Amino acid sequence: MFDLLNEIWQTMRTNKLRTILTGIAVAWGIFMLIVLLGLAKGVRTGFESSPMGNTRNVIQLWAGNTSMPFNGLKEGRSISLRERDMKALRHDIKENVSDVSGILEGSNVVMRSDSTHISSTYSGVFPVMRDEEQLKMTHGRFISDRDVSQCEKVVVLEERNATTLYGSPDRAVGRLLDINGIAFKVIGVYKHNWFNSVFIPYSVAKAISGFSDTLGTIRVKVEGMSTMDEAQEIEKEIRRSVGRTESFHPDDSSAIWIWNRFANYLSNQTAMSVLNWVMWAIGLLTLITGIVGVSNIMFVSVRERTHEIGIRRAIGARPRYILIQIILEGVVITTLFGYIGIVLGTVAGELMAHAFADTMFVKDPRVDVGLAVQVTALLVVAGALAGLFPAMRALKIRPVEALRTE
Amino acid sequence: MIHLKDVHKTYPGAVPLHVLKGINLDIDRGELVSIMGASGSGKSTLLNILGILDNYDSGEYILDGRLIRDLGENAAADLRNHLIGFVFQSFNLISYKDAVENVALPLFYQGVSRRKRNAMALEQLDRMGLREWAHHLPGELSGGQKQRVAIARALITNPAIILADEPTGALDSKTSVEVMKIFRQLNDEGMTTVIVTHDPGVGAQTNRIIRISDGLILPDNPR
Repeated sequence: MFDLLNEIWQTMRTNKLRTILTGIAVAWGIFMLIVLLGLAKGVRTGFESSPMGNTRNVIQLWAGNTSMPFNGLKEGRSISLRERDMKALRHDIKENVSDVSGILEGSNVVMRSDSTHISSTYSGVFPVMRDEEQLKMTHGRFISDRDVSQCEKVVVLEERNATTLYGSPDRAVGRLLDINGIAFKVIGVYKHNWFNSVFIPYSVAKAISGFSDTLGTIRVKVEGMSTMDEAQEIEKEIRRSVGRTESFHPDDSSAIWIWNRFANYLSNQTAMSVLNWVMWAIGLLTLITGIVGVSNIMFVSVRERTHEIGIRRAIGARPRYILIQIILEGVVITTLFGYIGIVLGTVAGELMAHAFADTMFVKDPRVDVGLAVQVTALLVVAGALAGLFPAMRALKIRPVEALRTE
Repeated sequence: MIHLKDVHKTYPGAVPLHVLKGINLDIDRGELVSIMGASGSGKSTLLNILGILDNYDSGEYILDGRLIRDLGENAAADLRNHLIGFVFQSFNLISYKDAVENVALPLFYQGVSRRKRNAMALEQLDRMGLREWAHHLPGELSGGQKQRVAIARALITNPAIILADEPTGALDSKTSVEVMKIFRQLNDEGMTTVIVTHDPGVGAQTNRIIRISDGLILPDNPR
């Protein structure tokens, strides 16, 4: 094998420029494949770690208007979501549901600190909100069960609001915040890219609203689902359950609005898969261009070396040896330059990771070991294919004809 | 050593070309013979058949006791490698291999280790007076040196027969004499050698001239 590789090395060294130019085409193909797949992975990872990806286990419900007559009641009725609906959902749907909670909101509320004020919306929530929305607490803590049960007047702010009200997030915790004339103690600050809700305990929001049981949103936390069928089935069960309580047809899609984040997640997963395949396709097509280049150059090489092949055959080279040598030459060129492409692609991945460090939608666009192994296998197969056809052509030349070739 | 009986060869085509029309030939072990004939007489075709580089259509060819007939590519390659040493007019050395590597190449196909085959190649080059040129590429050698490298390559597998196709055709007269001297020395050592040539001077230095004309061997002219 060493002798064979030495033979190949001699051939490559003899045709340096041709080998390098061919190799560049392969290296470029692999580089593009690695970069594109890294980007696809980065987009997927970015999505998975984004609030959209992380909070996929929540189904949210908002009240709407009926569009179908039901049980003697005409369409166009305004539906309200109430605490009884939460209880009904907990009772009716046992499978795949781990929690049901609600949000009571107060909008356009003036909130004052010692020095300034903002106009914002508060949300009366349960502690489960933090997990459901993957809220990252940067200072202090989130609302606890005790805060809800004891009707503690505490508030959790997003960093931007905390900065506006208190100068910086770290100065907010422990300070007082006046919400509609009621003093709340700031107990925590969180960071979120999308929203900046002001959170207070659900029980406190209910008290502020005059103990109304009308909810702005109901949140159903789901688990153990993996298919779109399951996601759609649970949506139907939610409509049936709330429909029974609030008297609307279970097929009335506008009576309540449902944001099934799990279904959205699955759709996005499909889109990500398509993106991945598209990236593979583009990368492979680029690589194929390189492989065709190698094959083409091998054809030229075989033609140029016909006389040499004739000499080798005359002095005793078996056809199989010629075949293996040419195929291996393709494999060596492809693998050698392919690895250069992998290394450059990996470096590009690192640079992209650095460049996209502050963005949410592309995260860690680096290729992993598994992909490198796949690409390596691909290189060997591609190299063998690149050499196979020229090698077969070389074998068809009879020694006596090859010797006559100049 | 070589026995041909009624060997025919026709090249197919729009007008088939009947090149060998019943060759009968015997060459004994240790002979130094030349095959002479005009262009198109069939001497190169005969040499190709003798060298198992080409097939014949009918008849019988026995080389060193083996019937050479309908051989597969592998069997033909093995026989060429073990039984025959080729010397060509245009040397047929591989340009990017130095003299040692060119000489050692037939042993490479026998699976001989690099160290051993290079040592054997150096011995052969030494025999040809080319030891100091061992690591030079063919492009750095004179015509006579190239042909001596080619002869060294032909000898390295210790073949049963040397087949030389116009071995002096590309050399000047002085170098031709030197090369023929090598062939005569090899013959003195017992090597069977067949030289195809159209040069009467070369033929004159062999023990027997086989004349071929229009695809047929003319009666022997022993010297």
